[in-house]
Amino acid sequence: MGEGSFPEAGRMSAFFELSGVTKNFGGVQAVSKMAFSIARGELAGLMGPNGAGKTTIFNLVTGVYDLDEGQIFFKEEDLARLKTYQVTGRGIARTFQNLRLFQRSTVLENVMTAAQHHVPYSFAEGMTHLGRWRSGEKKIREKSMALLERVGLADRAEQAAGTLPYGFQRRLEIARALALDPELLLLDEPAAGMNAEEVSSLNVLISEIHRDFSLTILVIEHHMDLVMEICPHIICMNFGAKIAEGTPDEIQNHPEVLKAYLGEEEVE
Amino acid sequence: MRADRPRSPSSIHERGDPPLATLIQQVINGLSLGSVYALIAVGYSLVYSILLFSNFAHGGFLVIGGYICYGTLRTFGTGIWLSGAIALAGAGLAAVLTERLAYRPIRERTNVTLYLLIASMGMSIVIENIFVIVAGGRFRALPPVIPTAPVNLMGLATTSAFDLLSLVSAVVFLGALQLFLSKTRWGLAIRAAAYDLRTAGLMGVNVNLLISIVFFVAGALAAVGGIFLSVRYTLYPQLGAITIKAFVAAVIGGLGSLPGAVVGSLILGLAEMLTAGFISSQMRDLVVFSLLVITLLVKPTGLFGKSVSEKV
Amino acid sequence: MSGYTEGIIILLCINAIAAMGVSLLTGFTGIFSLGHAAYMALGAYTTAILTVQHGVHWFPAILCGGIMAVAVAFFIGVPTLKLMGDYYAIASIGLGEAIRLILENWQSVTRGARGYPGIDPYTTLPVAAAFFVVLAICMFNLINSRFGRACKACRDDYIASSLLGFHTARIRVISLMISAFYCGVAGALLGGFLSFIQPVMFDMLKSTELTAVVVFGGLGSMSGSLLGTAVITLVTELFRPISQYRMLIYGAVLVVIMVLRPEGIMGNREFLSWVKAPFRRRAG
Repeated sequence: MGEGSFPEAGRMSAFFELSGVTKNFGGVQAVSKMAFSIARGELAGLMGPNGAGKTTIFNLVTGVYDLDEGQIFFKEEDLARLKTYQVTGRGIARTFQNLRLFQRSTVLENVMTAAQHHVPYSFAEGMTHLGRWRSGEKKIREKSMALLERVGLADRAEQAAGTLPYGFQRRLEIARALALDPELLLLDEPAAGMNAEEVSSLNVLISEIHRDFSLTILVIEHHMDLVMEICPHIICMNFGAKIAEGTPDEIQNHPEVLKAYLGEEEVE
Repeated sequence: MRADRPRSPSSIHERGDPPLATLIQQVINGLSLGSVYALIAVGYSLVYSILLFSNFAHGGFLVIGGYICYGTLRTFGTGIWLSGAIALAGAGLAAVLTERLAYRPIRERTNVTLYLLIASMGMSIVIENIFVIVAGGRFRALPPVIPTAPVNLMGLATTSAFDLLSLVSAVVFLGALQLFLSKTRWGLAIRAAAYDLRTAGLMGVNVNLLISIVFFVAGALAAVGGIFLSVRYTLYPQLGAITIKAFVAAVIGGLGSLPGAVVGSLILGLAEMLTAGFISSQMRDLVVFSLLVITLLVKPTGLFGKSVSEKV
Repeated sequence: MSGYTEGIIILLCINAIAAMGVSLLTGFTGIFSLGHAAYMALGAYTTAILTVQHGVHWFPAILCGGIMAVAVAFFIGVPTLKLMGDYYAIASIGLGEAIRLILENWQSVTRGARGYPGIDPYTTLPVAAAFFVVLAICMFNLINSRFGRACKACRDDYIASSLLGFHTARIRVISLMISAFYCGVAGALLGGFLSFIQPVMFDMLKSTELTAVVVFGGLGSMSGSLLGTAVITLVTELFRPISQYRMLIYGAVLVVIMVLRPEGIMGNREFLSWVKAPFRRRAG
């Protein structure tokens, strides 16, 4: 399976690790004994055809679904015991396959809603606008604007999020996730619906934020171009189970992967 | 809305009756009342199962049915069968009209159910107050076309013909609905739509027509309930307020589930009548709301409800 | 200023306070409640009983009225606010009715359906205006703070918001408690204005009026709720002779707005944004 130089699943000191993760929905096994391990600072990709169970993994990690079996460890803490809203506090942020922006709010507000997390001031200060309110709001606003600049949306700060072109909405979601100061960033199909040019610039953006923010990133994509180009570590799954793991070269020529994507007949 | 003192023709037992007789009486009363609630709750749950929102204007269809029946009975002197049929058709049409005028424009523009909820609340008030203004707030007694004579049940208890009749009618109408849903093409379409409206549409079902049919059925069923309720409690514009109890019944049974609506209604009717018979009449409504609270705390999706989970 | 005009302004202040409470809950947190008049009733009766029967000064009594409403909101809210949309709306109707029934039947404490007379008329114009100004400042500040953004996040997407770290259930409860406080204070002030309260004053008509005002003004605009209050209070007064049409008009307003312009008059803008706009473009 070509695990090569990647951390073996099972080593407790791994940064982010799944082992034996299983999830059933009614009679359907969405995820089956999934296991992989990601080291701190990696930029990894989770690939697979539609319906392979990739988003389900994200949902399991972030507590949207409960695990049936198995364990998920982040910085050696078992995530299964956490509620959804506690996951962010541990340093994990995600974007969504179907985009979940606050459509009616402005672009800036969307990011500020996330940025405020690390700028606490009390309820009383919020109600009276005294104390730390002014400095707090300034900090939140500045941090958010900086992130918007980073993703190229600063000039659209006051626009309603729902009116942005699709590609920009995806960037906004990334900016919003970054505002949480995460250590692990989960991107769910960030290139969905983009053309080749947009995918290229998205690749650049992801590489840059990986470097500049010292993040660990796990990207779900079923678009080959994105994942192959920027992720040195790729995990491939189909029908809920892992079918391959390795470098882009290893994956590209892996028979199971080709079968999953192209169908049995196409493989020589 | 008020907690009205029922003038039910079936509250004819006297204190001093042996407990068993009272029990049997109140059970029958409860089933009868519950069956009327069921007619209302089922229509409401049917709409919920397709559109996933609570149509608060449902009570309005009930009132429309009651007034049309009363009107035709009084003005044209027609028999109960014809008046009833006209009332059903009228209420059904009113329901379709409500959907076309108030809900469809919202539905087509957005999928925020809050807007539909608010609009339905508005429609409920509009319908009720149209009757307040046009018909006046008086309590009207329907001409005695539905027999209310006491009936002796094998010497065990006395109940009224009315209770038995409303029970039987409810069974007939609900049975007809069940046949419609299981044996006809539109019934199948409705069941498919209840599962997934968008897919049903993609499969070629005319979604707008389907929704109109569902509303018509819901309105007609509400009208039957309205007719029986107006005999039980007399007819007045706020009669629709009793729909809140049918809502509670639907929640207890599980929003969106038709068998649930029936079961919930029967439970509610029984609870109300047993409370009235053995504790006090005043406590009836409090028992209803307590059941609601308990359901929401213990199992919010009710007995048979579908928990709609969003795709993340 | 004539007594009549004074009265109108006092009534405006009272209705505006209640409207702000409902606006926070429905417009900003997205919780559709149909029983909010019940919290006004709780405030009104608590304050009436404290001032009339226990000689408490009106100021602490009004605050107690608000606190009573908050306490009830907390106990009801914690279990029921986990429910979404329709379930909560039905529960709120049930709660409103249950409270009204209790008030009507607990004769020994509330004097029943005939009402509670003899309340000291402590709600003078300065009192009403002062409460309004202070509460309005607090509310506008709140929505312009992290709490306001949190409410809106829970309203717009509860899944995304919990993945942004928001404890949605808790935020909803807090929002309910604040709105209950506002309605409780409004009810207490109403009692001090009319010197008389009756359960029927806090029925579905009142709850619907509150919701209609917020919807009309714009869900998500606090200024809109104030504007809506002004319009509806004044219209109600002007059209007193045809008061039987009031309910019909409220109902029609709800339907027409939802069909034609669901964002209401102000959408989600505030008065202040018109003032700030020219400055914002400069800072850019």
